[in-house]
Amino acid sequence: MTAMQLLMKKRNEAINRILGKGYLATKRVYVGNATCEIAAGSDEVMEVFRNAIQRGLTNVYLSSKGCAGRCNLEPTIEVIEEGKIPVKYGRITKEMAHEIVERHLKKGEVIEEWVIEG
Amino acid sequence: MYKEYSIIICSGTSCQKGVPGELTEIARQVLLKHGLDQKTKISLSGCLGMCSKGPVMIINPGYTIYGKVDAGNIGKIIENHIVHKKEVTEHVIHEDHLFNRFYSIFGDMDFFGKQMRIALRNCGIIDPDDIDDYLSVRGYEALARVLTDYTPAQVIEQVKLSGLRGRGGAGFPTGIKWELTAREKEPVKYVICNADEGDPGAFMDRSAVEGDPHTIIEGMIIGGYAVGAKNGIVYIRAEYPLAIKRLERAIASARKEGLLGDNILDTQFCFDIEIRLGAGAFVCGEETALIQSIEGFRGMPRPRPPYPSVKGLFGKPTLINNVETWANIPVIILDGAEWFSSIGTEKSKGTKVFALAGSIKNTGLIEVPMGTTLREIIFDVGGGIPEGRKFKAVQTGGPSGGCLVESDLDTRIDYESLAAAGSMMGSGGMIVLDEGACMVNIARYFLEFAQNESCGKCTPCREGTKRMLEILTRITEGNGMDGDIEKLERLGRMIQKASLCGLGQSAPNPVLSTIAKFRSEYEEHVIDRKCRAAVCTRMLTYEINGKCVGCTACVKVCPTRAVSGVKMNVHVIDQSKCIKCGACYEVCKFKAISKQ
Repeated sequence: MTAMQLLMKKRNEAINRILGKGYLATKRVYVGNATCEIAAGSDEVMEVFRNAIQRGLTNVYLSSKGCAGRCNLEPTIEVIEEGKIPVKYGRITKEMAHEIVERHLKKGEVIEEWVIEG
Repeated sequence: MYKEYSIIICSGTSCQKGVPGELTEIARQVLLKHGLDQKTKISLSGCLGMCSKGPVMIINPGYTIYGKVDAGNIGKIIENHIVHKKEVTEHVIHEDHLFNRFYSIFGDMDFFGKQMRIALRNCGIIDPDDIDDYLSVRGYEALARVLTDYTPAQVIEQVKLSGLRGRGGAGFPTGIKWELTAREKEPVKYVICNADEGDPGAFMDRSAVEGDPHTIIEGMIIGGYAVGAKNGIVYIRAEYPLAIKRLERAIASARKEGLLGDNILDTQFCFDIEIRLGAGAFVCGEETALIQSIEGFRGMPRPRPPYPSVKGLFGKPTLINNVETWANIPVIILDGAEWFSSIGTEKSKGTKVFALAGSIKNTGLIEVPMGTTLREIIFDVGGGIPEGRKFKAVQTGGPSGGCLVESDLDTRIDYESLAAAGSMMGSGGMIVLDEGACMVNIARYFLEFAQNESCGKCTPCREGTKRMLEILTRITEGNGMDGDIEKLERLGRMIQKASLCGLGQSAPNPVLSTIAKFRSEYEEHVIDRKCRAAVCTRMLTYEINGKCVGCTACVKVCPTRAVSGVKMNVHVIDQSKCIKCGACYEVCKFKAISKQ
């Protein structure tokens, strides 16, 4: 096997592992998790989503992400759904995260006023 | 408002060679006709890097890329795609690039409009703690390609062809550095990643390592293969604990996957990486000082030559590149050196990451193609100055750089143009200043930093910056003397000429560039004892104006009892007792204290 073939094998295995973690869920939630995001409070926000999933929220794939560079809007999260424009929320507190769970993740409502403009 | 569709039209020069704004206008008309204008966001993107197939347009959701879009067909493509839900297959571009994937998620945001993400391509997109995420976005494919198809000499050829230059600040051609290290015959060589980021306000390297550590690892392994080294070292400062943790985890999982260590991907090639922590001295970002620090000595620069490529770490040939430089390598291999060299200006290729800070609406970490103007960065990406204040200057290059003014705003970002305009690229700090900033004070701030961080090895830097700081401090305190400005200039030029390392040579830059561009402000400080921005507090006079309601808040807070007055009566400040601490100004709720 060449190095390239071996890598392709590894990539396929990696993709399968990601799929196994539920990547194809209806919604994927990415929570910023760099030093700057954490300083702005993203740990607490992550915790809200993690707890919601533990308490039975289904069809949501939760992942952390690095910093996309929006310093003044942190913590940022994205809710990504196949076939829809990803929803980008900024300056999310843990209370807001609770509401995102209830309204957006459970009922599919985009909470307009928290969506990042521009 | 949240929109259902997003149309992104490339605003790169070759894609916009038709009538300016024509494509956007036609798109708007078509959407209006179908009542979709409220549901769709039209935005412009920076160069999408597919110039030969331009003009290029992306439609989201779905990240469909259309090429050869023109005034004649754009309406039909949009109609078919959005209204009839049918892709116009003959215009679809099926290219899988490493860069620009963020457009599938962030494409409708104006903040990303002028950006092009090569080094930061995965930051904010993937989970940095999971090697699977990196592998799934073609991670380590560049390494596999190199090990399968390229000889070390061919890798170096590619890097040379790409025109990539060092992103740490000096801009030395990366390919030549690699070649110089490769041609040494020593059996033991080292590869180093310089992650000792120290400029005030700069956090490019931290974000890159925290957001996508595997990219740097992959770049370093390729570098090791090219120059014939087996040992890699990441020198990172200890005050980046999360970045270190991510890097450690990434190294461990890369080893586990057989991508690092002995017989990488079952080939004969062996390479491993270890992390060395820096204690946070600014000078250790200088390559020779960095090497001394790894060797266990006090971090101090030494004269070059011999360059590290000949005699570096432990006297062995050593290849040192900055974090951002390493992050570019996998893209150059997979998307091609020729493609990479098509981006940017004549002498500066690719993109540059900047940490945008200061008086600007969107502070953030951005990556733009070389050749983007400062105006585009500050007003398009950064969203301009907040609260209607006026732009005054932009500081680039940190403590080694200088300030640029309104008339410099059309300067295109590249190593040469920034230097010609009186500043420098540096590692990527960019601080925007509005009319409320005092240039003398800014210069003093940066010089104080350089002075504190001077390693003390050579006299011009150690003593010269100290004297300059004394003069500047005296000027900002209202004790400037005749001839002080000229003294600063003379000392500055002497330090530039006589210092050993780059840090010393560039330490006077913030002062010299502000004197060159804001001389009258310095003169006001020295001659009129006035600071027009009301920043240098020692020179201010605090007075109580007619808005005073007599609440006694300022009376209570004044540490020298300079404010007197009883309840309900206008208070008075005794100027002979006032130490200009500003406590009364801060505490007053009625804006009754004026300073000038």
